[in-house]
Amino acid sequence: MDIDDILREVDPVFHAVPQEKRDLQDLTRAWVAERCAPELLHWPADGLFERVNDNIKRQIEKVEEMTGDMDPKTNFALIVLQTELERFKYIVRSYLRARIAKIDRHTLHYLSTDELRSRLSEMELAYATRHQALLHNHYLSSFLSSFPPQMQNLNDAGGNSTMIDTPDLESAVFIRLLIDTVVEGRGVDADGEMNGKVDDIVILRWSDAKPLVDAGSAELV
Amino acid sequence: MPLYGDLGNKLVQHAKRTQNLIHLPPYQAELVRAVAREVRDLDRDLKSILEPFQGSFDPTADQATACTLLVNHLSMRRNKRCLLAYHRTRADKLEELVWSGADVLDLAGQQTAGGANGVMGANDGGASSLSPQEEDYVRQYGDLLAAYKGQWTDIDLTGSLEPPRDLFIDVRVLKDAGEIQTEYGAINLTRNSQFYVRQGDVERLISQGYLQKLG
Repeated sequence: MDIDDILREVDPVFHAVPQEKRDLQDLTRAWVAERCAPELLHWPADGLFERVNDNIKRQIEKVEEMTGDMDPKTNFALIVLQTELERFKYIVRSYLRARIAKIDRHTLHYLSTDELRSRLSEMELAYATRHQALLHNHYLSSFLSSFPPQMQNLNDAGGNSTMIDTPDLESAVFIRLLIDTVVEGRGVDADGEMNGKVDDIVILRWSDAKPLVDAGSAELV
Repeated sequence: MPLYGDLGNKLVQHAKRTQNLIHLPPYQAELVRAVAREVRDLDRDLKSILEPFQGSFDPTADQATACTLLVNHLSMRRNKRCLLAYHRTRADKLEELVWSGADVLDLAGQQTAGGANGVMGANDGGASSLSPQEEDYVRQYGDLLAAYKGQWTDIDLTGSLEPPRDLFIDVRVLKDAGEIQTEYGAINLTRNSQFYVRQGDVERLISQGYLQKLG
C-alpha cells in the first residue's frame, strides 16, 4: 500500500488520474457503448458533456491565440493541438448522431414512459417531442385527417400488435469484463452460465448483458 | 374494380422501391387519395351494417355479419399501416437529405425536370416530386435540425462521420468557389487547381460538391 492508496481511502475525491483524462475515458466509453447497444443508453448525468464542451471551447481559443504568432516552434504544437481537437469533436459528433439516429427510429417508444424519457438529455427531449409533432402533423395533413376519428391515433395497441416500434433488446453484443464475475446468458435451447475473468470478451444478448454493463462489471466493445 | 387492399399494397411497393433509390420518386398523390377513400368507404359500410342493430349487436348470434365487420375493420387498419409506412419511408429519406445539407426543395424540382422518373407519371403534373405537405415538412424539419445544431456550435453536428486521420488534406477544385478565408490566409478556389488545406476549413465545400478529396 503506498501513499496514494491511503489518500484514496481517506478522501474518495482523490484520484491519481487528472479530470481531463478521465473525461476522455468516460467519453470514449460512452461513445463505444452507445454505438454498440441496440437501445438508447442514459445520457451521462455528471456533467461530462458540459466539461467536454468547455474543454473544446478552451482549446479552440488556445489554437486561435497560437495562430497569431507565426513562430515555427509553436507551429508543431499547434498541429498536435488541432489534431486532438478534431478527434475530440469527432467523438462527440459521432456520439450525438448515434443517439439521434436511435431516437428518430423509435421516437414514440422513448417518449412513452418516464423511465425512458429520463434517458434523454433536455435538448434531445425537446428535439424528439418536436420531431414527433412534426411527423404527426405531416401524416394528418397528408391523409390521416380524412380518416374516421377513431382511427386517427398513432399509438393503437389492439389486435396483438402495437403501433409503437421498439428496439430489439435481444440482439447480440460483445462485452469485455472489467471484474471477475459470473456471466449468465439465455440461449435458444438452454441457458448458459460461465465464470468470467477480467478482460474476457463475451458475446451474448443485450438483455443479458445490460445488468452487467449497468453495474459497471463490463463494458461494450 | 380492384380488390380492397390492392392499392395499399402498391403504396408499400413504392415505399420499398424508394428505400433503394438515391433520389426521391414523385409523390403518389392519386394512390394516397384512393387508399384514404377506401378507408372512408369501408367505414361507411361498417356503419350501415351496424345501423339496424341499434348498438345491441351480438357477434355470437350473427357470425356472418361479425366476420364481415372484422374483415372490414382489418382492411382499414391495413390501409392505415400502408399509408403510414409509405409516408414514413419518404420522410426518412427527406430527413437524410436535410442532414446531408442538400437543398431538398431545389433538388426535387431538378429531378422532375430531368425526366428521371419515367413511367411514374401519376403525380399531379407539378414541378416537384414532393407533395406540398412534404415540402412543409422539410422546411420545418430543417428549422428543427438547425435549432438542435445551434446548441452544439463547436461540434458541427452535420460534419463528416468519418474519423479524422489527417489535419490537412489534398483537395481538387471541381467548381469555382471563389475565395475562402482560412487561418493561413485567403485561398482562391478556381477550377482544376489543387490545394493542401485544413480539413475542417473545407468540409462544407466538399459535401456541397465544390471540392474533391484526394488520396
